[in-house]
Amino acid sequence: MRNIRAVAFKEFIHILRDRRTLTLLIVMPLMQLMIYGYGINTDVKHLPTYVYDQDRTYLSRRLINAFTQSDYFTVKTQAASLGQVYSALDRGLAQSALIIPPDFTANLLKKKGVQVQLIIDGTDSTPANVALNSSQAIINAFMQNEKLVPVQLLPIDFRPRLWYNPDLKSSYFMLPGLVGLLLQFLVPMITATAIVREKERGNIEQLLVTPIKSYELIIGKILPYIALGVLIASSIITIMHFLFMVPIHGSVMTLFFLTLVYLVVCLGIGLWASTIADNQQQAGQIVMFFAMPSILLSGFIFPREGMPVWVRDIGYFIPMTYFLKIVRGIILKGMGFFDLIDQVWPLLLMAVLVIVFSIRRFSKRMT
Amino acid sequence: MPDIAISADKLTRRFGKFTAVDEVSFEIPYGSIFGFLGANGAGKSTTIRMLCGILEPTSGNGKVGGFDVQTQPEQIKTVISYVSQRFSLYSDLTVIENLSFYGQIYGLKRESLSRRIEEVLTMTGLYRFCQRLSGDLSGGMKQKLAIANAILHKPKIIFLDEPTAGLDPLARRSIWELLYSLAEQGTSLFVTTHYMEEAERCNTIAFISDGKILRIGRPADLRHQLSAKILEVACQPLMKASRLFLTLEGVRGITVYGTTLNLNVNDQKAVSARVVDAAAREGVEIISIRPIGASLEDVFSDLDSERPDAKH
Repeated sequence: MRNIRAVAFKEFIHILRDRRTLTLLIVMPLMQLMIYGYGINTDVKHLPTYVYDQDRTYLSRRLINAFTQSDYFTVKTQAASLGQVYSALDRGLAQSALIIPPDFTANLLKKKGVQVQLIIDGTDSTPANVALNSSQAIINAFMQNEKLVPVQLLPIDFRPRLWYNPDLKSSYFMLPGLVGLLLQFLVPMITATAIVREKERGNIEQLLVTPIKSYELIIGKILPYIALGVLIASSIITIMHFLFMVPIHGSVMTLFFLTLVYLVVCLGIGLWASTIADNQQQAGQIVMFFAMPSILLSGFIFPREGMPVWVRDIGYFIPMTYFLKIVRGIILKGMGFFDLIDQVWPLLLMAVLVIVFSIRRFSKRMT
Repeated sequence: MPDIAISADKLTRRFGKFTAVDEVSFEIPYGSIFGFLGANGAGKSTTIRMLCGILEPTSGNGKVGGFDVQTQPEQIKTVISYVSQRFSLYSDLTVIENLSFYGQIYGLKRESLSRRIEEVLTMTGLYRFCQRLSGDLSGGMKQKLAIANAILHKPKIIFLDEPTAGLDPLARRSIWELLYSLAEQGTSLFVTTHYMEEAERCNTIAFISDGKILRIGRPADLRHQLSAKILEVACQPLMKASRLFLTLEGVRGITVYGTTLNLNVNDQKAVSARVVDAAAREGVEIISIRPIGASLEDVFSDLDSERPDAKH
């Protein structure tokens, strides 16, 4: 115990004296919070839209209004010709265009079918999808409101509702995930560099000839970084909750406990990287090498549901995949420990494996 | 307590096919300084690592402080300490922080630890630097800190791997004074060095080359074995003369000393005549030629010439 305490205390001094790393540890989470919280917004709204209204009647203006009132579309210009519409789309001045035919009202009044065209710039699939789906909803609502179809005749009363994130705010989705991302990146990085630094500077040579046991050394070295990881995680969650107003529906204690498990896995990755790397630079590269697929395949940004099966299967080996479900589940949906059991046990298994493996590798190096 | 601090009996370590240390044997009593000499890569550090219990020997036995190298490496670590060639304490910790960290690892309790830290700081003259970051100390001070750290837990045996490498003469002298006072108190010191005049200060020295111990004994004895075998020749041009004399029969090796050559020879008289002859023939001017007693450096170069693959 005394040895573990001595190592942990010394490690804390290292952390406090290393201004550069300390700055990174404070600035990076804050920066990412700001970027994901304010900057990156996948909520598509106010799509610049050109309108070519060839009918120019009360009803056609009501239709245009229905589009603008939805907030998804903003009318930039009333176009005078089809040519103007096409060139605006080509030049990117508009991302969608609404074209209303000349006999729009007349045909409607005659109960004849009319064609209204919405052209959407499909270059970027996300806003295009949003425009497509919302336009259909707008048209349906328009037809009902204007009594163009008899409501009582609809055989299915279809009422979709969005739960957990009714306004589809991307910050609700991104910020809890950020806890996973930052821990996965920062914790292995600082752990690996801290251990490799001892190798690089020859400190380990001195430690090896002391009677300290390898588990005392590892635990002593890890403890300060667990504390640091908890500090990073709780400050992200605090800022997320109070600055970005993301509600926390689940139990904070469950979140805390499972974050600890995830932290251990991250530390293990760092430990493992440190047993391979000979210098701090290599350690950093190894950690980066594993951080990249984690960001892309864990579902942090890209939904795993859309991935080919074999790519999705790779994701099952990434701890962040499980932790993202846990952290989003607890924060947004109020899930409890046992609701998340399918995510908890792989994470626990990984934690045990990675620690046992690293300690064994580490003690091997001591002989 | 037995008199023998460190013993090695046919200690061997192989790395794959390469034999780094080959059946090395010696005994070192308490209170003595053992000098371990050899070129870089001769097997010095590997021997130290085996004796410190951090490298398992391939075969052979060793006992350090009464504990077996093969089976009790962790017990060995409690009775020894090790000062590595490279400064290996934490440079971002202060002198005091380093000492108290290692003191705790060696199991010193709070009050005795602070008393002991004061003692070693006074002994090494580091007291006024105790709040300084170790990385900011000069080379000599760093080495003194490493030694202060090594004696914290009053080990009976200390291994020092080139403790004076790269230090100025004054710093080297004060380190050696420190080592003497430790030996006087009964500590056994195992020192590797490249400096011949430092080897001279040891009680026993051993020459190691290609993993084998070539000679072992008291410095004076080793020099005596070689005396009547060294010829000092003052001549010029020096390098031409050196190349020339090396071709002569009976010359086993040559060491260049500023303006003179020390010829390592079989027979002083016969070779002396040959040297004079050859010099006259090849236009080398001989200023003086005389037999002298051997220095340790001569012993070293003599041993070197015995190596089958010696290139000079």
